[in-house]
Amino acid sequence: MIDEPYRWVEAISNRREYIENELASGSPTIGLSFNEGILLLTFGRDRRKIFEIYDRIAIGGIGHPGAIELASTEGFTRSAADVSLRRMVTYSFSPALKQAFEQIYGPPYLARILFAEVGSTRDEDLFVRLDYDGSMHASAMNVGKRRESFGAIAGTRKGLEKTEIFLRTANFSDLRGALRIAIHAWGLGLYFADQDHEDIPEDSALNEFVKSRLEYYTVEAVLLERRAAELRGAYVEVPESDLEAVLSGFR
Amino acid sequence: MEGLDSSNPLTGDFLVLLKRHQLISNTPSIPGSHLEFKETSATTILGFKFAGGVLVAGDRRATAGNVVMYDRADKVLEIDRHSVMAIAGSPATAWEMARILEHSFQYYRRTQLQEMSVEGKVRALSKLLRDNLGMVIQGVGVVVPLFATYEKKSSEPAKLFFYDAMGAQFEATDFASSGSGASAVRSVLYYENSWGLQPLRERSREEAILLALKALDTAAEADTATGGVDRHGKIFPIVKIVSESGIETVADNKLSELFQTQVA
Repeated sequence: MIDEPYRWVEAISNRREYIENELASGSPTIGLSFNEGILLLTFGRDRRKIFEIYDRIAIGGIGHPGAIELASTEGFTRSAADVSLRRMVTYSFSPALKQAFEQIYGPPYLARILFAEVGSTRDEDLFVRLDYDGSMHASAMNVGKRRESFGAIAGTRKGLEKTEIFLRTANFSDLRGALRIAIHAWGLGLYFADQDHEDIPEDSALNEFVKSRLEYYTVEAVLLERRAAELRGAYVEVPESDLEAVLSGFR
Repeated sequence: MEGLDSSNPLTGDFLVLLKRHQLISNTPSIPGSHLEFKETSATTILGFKFAGGVLVAGDRRATAGNVVMYDRADKVLEIDRHSVMAIAGSPATAWEMARILEHSFQYYRRTQLQEMSVEGKVRALSKLLRDNLGMVIQGVGVVVPLFATYEKKSSEPAKLFFYDAMGAQFEATDFASSGSGASAVRSVLYYENSWGLQPLRERSREEAILLALKALDTAAEADTATGGVDRHGKIFPIVKIVSESGIETVADNKLSELFQTQVA
């Protein structure tokens, strides 16, 4: 099959279509950067989706212990300061996903992952979206590029686009504000997973949609605390009281 | 992105990971070998329980034979948000052990999605000491640490453990000390706990810090390997308090103030 290039291209495109279909109904994950740190939020059904990778780094989507192994051995042999999301994603995870995707005789990773790394200032926060084929999108890796203070993954391209449009203009200052925005963005991402949904819904309609979804999903929210980043572990779960206060507005 | 080795029965064990990647080696012991160099070593450390948690303190001196190598050594090391390891013996080995321990606890939490139990943490240090036995028999790298932690769920949350060089672990009821000045410190703490104004457990934060300074000063009086307080260099011992809210390092100006008014 490899001898015939067009068959290979066809196989790859079948594979892409298959994975996109599998991922389409996936629950979005939203990351927001603000003064206190980074909020990562998603809703899941029956398994955990947000994991701590290293001192300042967390992952949302489909996790893998391989990422933790890599970060831990690196941090041990060099220094915790040498474990950077930029390095790990560019030179380890992205090539691994790309290779698995293009080796058509082996199974690909059914993965769409959002990485977040909290810095000592908001300017140093980083989000990277990594896809099953190894392609990556970073919120800020190049000098001069306009920074995005959020990161998101969604099941469909349309869901992601609409979510990003909303997040670009979203305003909030504290944790509860960030939770509200993240839940709204999550709702948008899921709303547009439905092929028939074309236009951005009214706030009230979206709230109704989120409310109807909350019956099936449970929330997962994690904060990467900026002030704790130097203390070996910025990763804390968002307090139940804050989650309840915000979720009650959607019920 | 390799997964965890499924044949490995101890998932979440950081030491196994290090050995698999050959990042640490087991040094074989060679009976009868004798090394003619003076190893750097560090002393004195102490820990005791007081009303606000556990206090752990250590002087700052590191020596090699009768040479002072370093007067600003930090022998009280933070391992995680609620655990402290204090070291006496060879800093080369001890700091490495602290690093492995710190990564072990984090690696366990991140891969197993739960915090390692206090017993597990205490055993982990014990295992590192036991793995080091080959070196100890050759006469280098001996470490005799203290380990203090705070277990919120326990009926007695403040915990203090001491070890011997082979890795035996002992839980201290009230206090523990280690290093070359340990016997002097132990006497002071025993005396204060039995016949002082109050048992150690009932003392306030300030009283506890003061006692730690006095005990270290007593150790430094008779032991050249213990630094005590350097008034010229303004070098004070490291004093850390482990409590429900985490680990607090007592600031130098606080130590200085207490030392000036009540110790010196």
